[in-house]
Amino acid sequence: MTGKRVLVVDDEVHIVHVVAIKLRNNGYEVISADNGAEAFELACDEKPDIIVTDYQMPVMSGLELVEKLRQRDETKDIPVIMLTARSFAISKEQQEDLRVSSCLSKPFSPKELLGNIEDVLYQKQVMVSN
Amino acid sequence: MRLTRILYAIVTVIVASSLFINGLAEWKSYGLLSEDSGTEEGRSYTGYVQRIPVLSVCYILGAVGVIYLGWYHLRLTGAVTSIAALLQDDKTSGSNDGKRFLPPFRLTKINELYPALSKHFAGCTSHITEYEKKIRDLQVKIQLSKRRGENTEAIIYSIRDAVIVIDDSDRLLMANEAAGRLFNFDHNDSKLMPVSELIGPDQGEFADFLSHNRQSKGQATRKEIEFIKDGMPEIFDCIVSCVYDQDRQVCGVVAVLHDITREKQIQQMKNDFVSHVSHELKTPLASITAFTEMLADGEANDEQTRKEFYSVIQNQAQRLNRLIEDILNSSRIESGLIKINKVTASLTMLIEEQLQMIKTYAEEKKVTVIGQKPIVYDQVDVDKDMMQQVIVNLLSNAVKYTPSGGSVKIETEVDENASLVRVNVTDTGVGIPEEDIQHVFDKFYRVGANKKQAEGTGLGLNLVKQIIEKVHGGRVFVMSKVGVGSTFGFELPLATRQTVRAL
Repeated sequence: MTGKRVLVVDDEVHIVHVVAIKLRNNGYEVISADNGAEAFELACDEKPDIIVTDYQMPVMSGLELVEKLRQRDETKDIPVIMLTARSFAISKEQQEDLRVSSCLSKPFSPKELLGNIEDVLYQKQVMVSN
Repeated sequence: MRLTRILYAIVTVIVASSLFINGLAEWKSYGLLSEDSGTEEGRSYTGYVQRIPVLSVCYILGAVGVIYLGWYHLRLTGAVTSIAALLQDDKTSGSNDGKRFLPPFRLTKINELYPALSKHFAGCTSHITEYEKKIRDLQVKIQLSKRRGENTEAIIYSIRDAVIVIDDSDRLLMANEAAGRLFNFDHNDSKLMPVSELIGPDQGEFADFLSHNRQSKGQATRKEIEFIKDGMPEIFDCIVSCVYDQDRQVCGVVAVLHDITREKQIQQMKNDFVSHVSHELKTPLASITAFTEMLADGEANDEQTRKEFYSVIQNQAQRLNRLIEDILNSSRIESGLIKINKVTASLTMLIEEQLQMIKTYAEEKKVTVIGQKPIVYDQVDVDKDMMQQVIVNLLSNAVKYTPSGGSVKIETEVDENASLVRVNVTDTGVGIPEEDIQHVFDKFYRVGANKKQAEGTGLGLNLVKQIIEKVHGGRVFVMSKVGVGSTFGFELPLATRQTVRAL
């Protein structure tokens, strides 16, 4: 999966930093934003392969970001992994409706996040090849 | 009885007549003697003449007396018989078959009736006394009932909750002032009006609830109902119970409406608080966990990166600690359990100690923090740990709500005349809407317009206020303009110079 572009969105700079290091060490290209609005613009411009976003952020939340992404043709199929500090922030129904690939609860393991990213990208690749 | 009376009358007439005739005969004989006027056969005529009129008059008066007595006896016995008949009539419930007023002819009847009459009159007296007592008891009960009614009304009128009582036709029987205010009607002048008209068409849910409860004749039920008052939603806990008459039939409904708008707001604020605290605690914890794992997995490739990771872990641990301290101190100050350790210290020095840590956070957000000018004398009696918490909270709050490229300035000024020192923290942030300014120091309160700007617990500024005002006897203040920025600050009394020298 090396060379894939990942958009990391979080208002906590340390989280963005640690995720970016983990992904770069494993061959990914990382772009980042600190809120949903900025992330949406970046997603439209840069068309990342996958987005890792925090749920609760100023200006625009992760949920609002996904809703907007699903409404545009060029971003509607980008897989999203959500990080959340609240256990029940997003329901199963919402997750399915918005096609959120997986949710990780904070505090999370960077290793586990990397595994999730690889799984999602693999599934996407399989689906495209089929 | 009639025959007896006739015989009695005849006897009376005969006796009276004979006496009268004797009287007349005597009178006549007197007249004959008077024609000869003199003495005859040795008798004294003068004495005879004198005796004869007296005897005659006596006979005549006797006749009149007999007639009078006969008449009187007949009258008396007739009256007694009437009374007897009445008494008999009372006993036999009116079965007198027309003989009620027939008088007996014997006067002895009175003697026979006397005990019965005495007994009857004594019974009547006893009954009258008993009835008088009952009337007095009833009057007392009426007074008590009236007073109870007045007391009940007074209690209902003084209740802060709205109380409405309706009858079995859904008409208003009673409402207190609170109910009048809630539904905007005159509670004194609306009796027997249909309740649906009084409470208005917008409150149909409540009218239906009342009506349904009355019809169901069930036990008391409660429901939270939202009313719109002056365009604002207000939530009431409505408890409705049926009112029963003496025959256990539902004759109306009483409703008590308790305003729980504030409780709901507090509940919501608490929920938000728990949610925010959870987020605020987990965020630094997430950084600590992630960086620790990266170090353990050897993801830090060089010494500089490792140092950077250690530094992040340390800062995030301190951040976590501050948050926990905020929560605990807030709780301790409120409950009065906190241990206060006051010493005399320079506010400038205390601010300086905290500035470096805040500058690191501000740099991450690309916000400039400007320190203060030197102060000649700014010694205050403070709990140093608490005051550091105040300074950190004010500075971190200012940085949090200041966009990238903005600035935060902290300065102290001494007012020698008022003998106090003032600290101002001014930012070029988003500002606070006017309607929110009075609430910014409230516990759990977060400015609605700024919620999306940054995360928070709504605890930091409340803690500042408690520490400054409750612990140090100072005063907090805020000035703000949306889009321009805010100034948060506090004033504390200066320590006396004698205290400083003594230390």
